[in-house]
Amino acid sequence: MNGLSKLLSLAALAWGFAAPALAQTPITIGYQLPLTGTQSQYGEVFRNSAVMQLEKLNAAGGVGGRKVEILFEDSKSDPKEAVAIARKFVDDKRIIAVLGDFASGPSMAAGEVYGKEGMAQLSQTASHPDFLKVSNWQFRNITTQAQEGPFNARWMHGAGIKTVAVIGLQNDWGLSATGEFAKEFEKLGGKVVATELFNPGTRDFRAILTKVSQRKPEAVYLAMFYEEGALMLQQARQLSLAARIHSASPFYAPKLVELAGPAANGVFISSTFVAESTAPNVKAFVEEYKKRYGSEPNQFAAQAFDAVGIMFEAIKRAGPNATRAQMRDALAATADYPGVTGTTTFDKQSREPAKVLSRMEIQAGKFVVLR
Amino acid sequence: MDATVFLQQLVNGLSIGLVYALVAIGFTLIFGVLNVVNFAHGEVFTVGAFGGLLVITMLAPPLWVVLLLVLLIGGFSGFALERLAFRPFRRFADEASLKSKAMREATLLSSLAVSIIVRELLELKFSGEMQTIPQSFLLQSPIALGPVLITDGNLVIFGSSALMLGALQYILFRTRVGMAIRAVSNNVLGAQFVGIDTNRTIIATFVVGSLMGGIAGIMVGLYQGAIFPHMGFEPGIKAFVAMVMGGLSSPGGAVICALIIGVSETFATQFVSDGWKALVSYGFLLLTLWFFPSGIFATRKEKM
Amino acid sequence: MARHLNRWLILALVVVLVGLSMANKSYLNQVAITTMIFIVLTASLNYVTGTAGLLSLGHAAFFGVGAYAAALLSTKAGWSFWFTLPAAGVITAAIGIVVALPTMRLVSIYFAVATLGIGEMLYVTMLNWVGLTRGPMGIRSIPAIELPGAKALGLSSTEVSMLAVALVMLASLWAMHRLSHSFYGNSLRALREDDACADAMGIDIARLKLEAFAVSCFFAGIAGALFAHTTGYISPESFRFGESILVLSMAVIGGLGSLYGSVIGAVVLSVLPEALRELGSFRMIVVGLVLFLSILFLPRGLLGEVSALDLVRRQLRRAPAAGGRRRW
Repeated sequence: MNGLSKLLSLAALAWGFAAPALAQTPITIGYQLPLTGTQSQYGEVFRNSAVMQLEKLNAAGGVGGRKVEILFEDSKSDPKEAVAIARKFVDDKRIIAVLGDFASGPSMAAGEVYGKEGMAQLSQTASHPDFLKVSNWQFRNITTQAQEGPFNARWMHGAGIKTVAVIGLQNDWGLSATGEFAKEFEKLGGKVVATELFNPGTRDFRAILTKVSQRKPEAVYLAMFYEEGALMLQQARQLSLAARIHSASPFYAPKLVELAGPAANGVFISSTFVAESTAPNVKAFVEEYKKRYGSEPNQFAAQAFDAVGIMFEAIKRAGPNATRAQMRDALAATADYPGVTGTTTFDKQSREPAKVLSRMEIQAGKFVVLR
Repeated sequence: MDATVFLQQLVNGLSIGLVYALVAIGFTLIFGVLNVVNFAHGEVFTVGAFGGLLVITMLAPPLWVVLLLVLLIGGFSGFALERLAFRPFRRFADEASLKSKAMREATLLSSLAVSIIVRELLELKFSGEMQTIPQSFLLQSPIALGPVLITDGNLVIFGSSALMLGALQYILFRTRVGMAIRAVSNNVLGAQFVGIDTNRTIIATFVVGSLMGGIAGIMVGLYQGAIFPHMGFEPGIKAFVAMVMGGLSSPGGAVICALIIGVSETFATQFVSDGWKALVSYGFLLLTLWFFPSGIFATRKEKM
Repeated sequence: MARHLNRWLILALVVVLVGLSMANKSYLNQVAITTMIFIVLTASLNYVTGTAGLLSLGHAAFFGVGAYAAALLSTKAGWSFWFTLPAAGVITAAIGIVVALPTMRLVSIYFAVATLGIGEMLYVTMLNWVGLTRGPMGIRSIPAIELPGAKALGLSSTEVSMLAVALVMLASLWAMHRLSHSFYGNSLRALREDDACADAMGIDIARLKLEAFAVSCFFAGIAGALFAHTTGYISPESFRFGESILVLSMAVIGGLGSLYGSVIGAVVLSVLPEALRELGSFRMIVVGLVLFLSILFLPRGLLGEVSALDLVRRQLRRAPAAGGRRRW
């Protein structure tokens, strides 16, 4: 009995030491994203990247000895649900900052709540030009079209192209993408011979392509995401459209090549994320992602990876017992964050991220960086 | 606008219209017999496409084998659908119940519920994104007809709609099952009185309508290169509109109206812009209904 | 019984609202707000589809028209909520009359398809008329509802919104109740059961249809204004055909033709998806299952009106289905 009681008291002692550590509440971040619905493919890769970052952080001890946890909530990319989730997150006293949403609609609607109630919101993809104007609490790490549009315009102008037709998706991203590109291209002296916007959900673009090809543009700028983009490329090929095709970073996705096949070859895109990059952090990210999830990460996965990373860095900066206001300030202080989508700095006045873009071309089914 | 562009846009419009027409045929058949809007027809379309894709990726047989298997898949889905969403509401076999508003609401909602469940299950298994289709199966090789470009997919779809309409005509007018179907759609009570097994006939209608829907699914999927869980929604709506515009009674009328919708959409894009094309095609619908309050090809003046 | 039901429901509502305020969770307030907005919307659909028998498949678009009217009036012209609310209702009713005029000759399914077309046309206009509606950019920073004296009572902004929405909802339900439970309402039901017969009896069916549609659009516009002011940001994507189907489902689950039914249907389909959040990806499947099971076992909805079926049975001298609710 002596041995047993010794054992028991040892166990009790050990438990006594362990209990406070176990009782340490984790630092909680909310993440609202579309896990079901028509945009679920984006939410899934966001969660993939977030989980990767989270496990890496917690394996290294978390922040200040406390683990970090992420609470994922499915918004279905529906503004109504986004607002409900925003309220839920705001009510939850453990949550100190929030990531998401994917599309600008839900992000803006939720943003109204976060702005009123004071919770920092970092979106990996919300590119609506007014997103950061909703309040002081909004952040994003995606390059805006005000940057990407002119980048592509200068590229095409520099390649000697004089006439361009612009085809874009009728959503906030597409509207700003086509607008910013056209503005810069015309400023440089080029001519936009046609602008066609189509409603989300359209799958047959032959009418648009036929209409656009009438004007005989030298190049076509496609402002859309990779799924409709793949269809557009295939149909352009079927209609023997003889123009150089350019697009922007959402086209940077292995899925584009899978869907479009040979029609994707020869397409030029701008991108912040380059999977083939030799930079060590990018290589590590790509390899780890491929190992875990069996597919190469696309632009969206990379954006989320960086967003979560930026959030974690802000937590470290603000300290494990940060308040929501302190998290906001910590996020605002993000500078030279070494992300896989490039070094990211938030502007002191506007909080807009400054990113570096690369030029790429799809050759034989691979994305190749052009020097 | 020169002739080439006009012709090309006409062809573009007809090809979109044929896609809607394919879906409208099966949809109209089911409505014509049961007087019910089958909200799940779009999902039968989707299931046909996914089923075909699975067959392609697992077995990679020649196309005609894929189509044959999809026929089976579609027929089976129709059978299951009828059992699940429509049969439980035919507890009373009298005419008043079968044609009552309450029955219509109930089956509308139950088929909607089934469509939601099927779509969510597909999304769970395959995620909402477009599925990768092996390039060799895509029906997208361009074919030049003079100055105009079409694809082999257009020919396949055109061929199948013609075949479907022809097969439907044959089934409806040259077989006993078809006669039973026509009898039931005309007067359910009367059909029962002459000894027709209405339940079996209704099942047959669903099977035939759904196997057409399934085939439509795989063909459109291979033609457009886009197979994803929500793909049946838009063609379903257009098929519904085409059916009503055509006067509800005949699949042929629905096909013609589907073509009209497709062509009006394309020319709207040409002359206005793609974003506003819905305004034109639905405006066309309203115009048609203004002049033909019962649809263009309406035959029966029966009140619904 | 019906009168008592009325009082019990209002009492239940008051209890729920007070309970929510005490729980002090803005999330629950938000869910309550959304639910009440959909109650108004569903009741308005029920008015035209259940009581007057005109199946409307474009209702979400009118919801959107009201929302945009309120949003534009408050952000561009600086009107306060209490003015944008009735204005939104009137504007939506006016647009409803204008677009419905060409469809007055149509019956049931043709009318339904026409409303589907109208709904799509309105949605496309909201999306593409960027000059007016800002298109896909949406309208943001719509001011929230303000109640004078709320600060003094220490109410949070969501609580204020919740109270205001509850007030408007009760007023709307009362109005629709008075309209449908009256001789006027009976003429609407006559329209539903057999419009040729009603016409033969001397009822002006074209005008009646227009009026029913106008009233329904008015309340849809009211719901839209509530939505705009309580969400703060609106964009065309919230007003598509899918939403129309959602509202229709709410009306049918509760029982077409019954106002109380619309309330219950809206509550079920608003609260259920939220309550099931734990289920993650299975959430919508369960909702679909609930929809299916409810239509299977409660074919006339939870509180359905007497169906046409029983009417016909009585005519044919067959006993009305015994036990009313569960069989037909």
